[in-house]
Amino acid sequence: MSEELLEQLQTYASQSNSKLSIPRKDETIIEVNQDHIKEFISHVVNDLKIVHLATITGLDLGENIGIIYHFSRDKNTIYVRSTVPKTQSTAVSIVDIIPGAILYEMEIHDLFGVTFAGNPWINQKLLLPDNWPDDLPPPLLKTTKPAEIRKRLHLEVERK
Amino acid sequence: MSDESKRREESAGLMEYSVENLVPFGPIHPALKEPEYFKLILEGEKIVQVIPRIGYVHRGLEKAAESRPWVQNMYMFERTCGICSFVHSLCYGQAVEGLTIYEVPRRAKYIRLIISELERIHSHLLWVGLMGHWAGFETLFMWVWNDREVILDLVEAISGNRVHKSMNAFCGVRRDMPENIEDRIVERMKFITDRAHYYREIIDTEETMLARTENVGNKINQETAQKLCAVGPMARYVGLRQDVRLNDPYAAYDEVPFDIVTRTEGDVRALLRLRLDELVVSANMISYAVKHLPEGPIRVKIAPIIPAGEHSSHCEAPRGEIFYYVKSTGGRTPDRVKSRQPTMANIPTALELLKGQTLADVPMVLTAIDPCFGCMDRMSFLDMESHKQWTWSGEQLRQYGIKHYFPDRFNSSNSSKFRRAD
Repeated sequence: MSEELLEQLQTYASQSNSKLSIPRKDETIIEVNQDHIKEFISHVVNDLKIVHLATITGLDLGENIGIIYHFSRDKNTIYVRSTVPKTQSTAVSIVDIIPGAILYEMEIHDLFGVTFAGNPWINQKLLLPDNWPDDLPPPLLKTTKPAEIRKRLHLEVERK
Repeated sequence: MSDESKRREESAGLMEYSVENLVPFGPIHPALKEPEYFKLILEGEKIVQVIPRIGYVHRGLEKAAESRPWVQNMYMFERTCGICSFVHSLCYGQAVEGLTIYEVPRRAKYIRLIISELERIHSHLLWVGLMGHWAGFETLFMWVWNDREVILDLVEAISGNRVHKSMNAFCGVRRDMPENIEDRIVERMKFITDRAHYYREIIDTEETMLARTENVGNKINQETAQKLCAVGPMARYVGLRQDVRLNDPYAAYDEVPFDIVTRTEGDVRALLRLRLDELVVSANMISYAVKHLPEGPIRVKIAPIIPAGEHSSHCEAPRGEIFYYVKSTGGRTPDRVKSRQPTMANIPTALELLKGQTLADVPMVLTAIDPCFGCMDRMSFLDMESHKQWTWSGEQLRQYGIKHYFPDRFNSSNSSKFRRAD
């Protein structure tokens, strides 16, 4: 990553009290608080012109759910990381900055149960089957066992 | 009422509607086409809004990966797609290799490039054939799919399989190139180049293809394409120089000379031209790579336990950038694997391209993004003016489109099939 770009990232990171680390060449990880995530991503997209959002990844981190925004420009990869607590998993949507993120946010909502405030389609199902039971926890949490999913979905079919 | 709450209320109304109108599980024909469900909201003939519903073939691979060994996952992820299978295992493999200390041998990098490009050629040919099919030009479909066999035979000669090559391994490939295959590959690549030039002439002059592709599709600019996260051909056809092979070279792409193709017309025909031109680029790359194939080992054996850490990798699949993220805690199985396919990234762009188009153009525009077959089996329609709802199968929609453009190709006894179900 060019020094100039890194310096600017450093400035924006310090504005929002975020931690910046470089684990290997061409890779930058920035840990941003949920309160500042929209502001920070708007800096990355509009000021630094790093426009390509590859995807958004959800992670089960035990008590929290991690959300990683993967940005890339040429050889540089930038991970913007954020966490939301499992007990109150509401994150800020970035669809008004990057409209293409709409399906990625819906995917995380389906698989991790994180609600993105401001995403107009967030309550629609994208990937999960229509007969997914409401009381069954989201599938990609570590506590949800595949056997349980199979059993529950199978029962749903049998009841019909 | 604030804007925010007003917007929520509006979207809630839309959602209720979609629930009412959802076609129940069952409109799926897995043997032939992959199911994707798009709800189109029409105003007369014009499309105002499109709502997608995917996931009918979601098999939970990311969850399955968490309970399988690292090596087994490579061949499981290869089964994600039956067309661009190799590039999935390559991208997952690269993400995992990034966590280890081993280097991939140079000969293996060249073989990876050759297989990737063969896959691109056969995927693009398959797509050109499908475009002919949806446009009502079956001869093109037959020709192109016949030429595709040439590539599949080559893939079989190299890897032993036509679809799932299982060529990749961590830090290398599993099979070496067969002896004395160089001349055969170069000859076949010349054949593909000639055919690509011929098809290029057809789509620029033939009446059916002109009528169905020229100025079809809502035109978008570069900024919109970027904001909608478009990848691969869907970004290049508006003029963006976005290609992972060029921007972040992997395998042997930094040693093989090539230039990517971009276009600026912004309609469906630009996509046809772009993909046909890419065939020539890929054929040249393969010819160069087999002539300059370095000697040496094809594989480094690595330990089955991957060190803790996280890494991501991206590759240029035929349909655009694919992305894999892996997280290891130092065990025998991954902690998390995330995979993002190009069709997922291109759906928002496809929805934008459909806006303002007529119903007859839907098959062409949706197939144009190359949505891993673009199955439009069962679409439900809602006419805003008459408040009528009806459902068509993909075949009915295809015939409606052909009839719209070429009414004289059908006699009157057939026409009852195309009447709206009201």
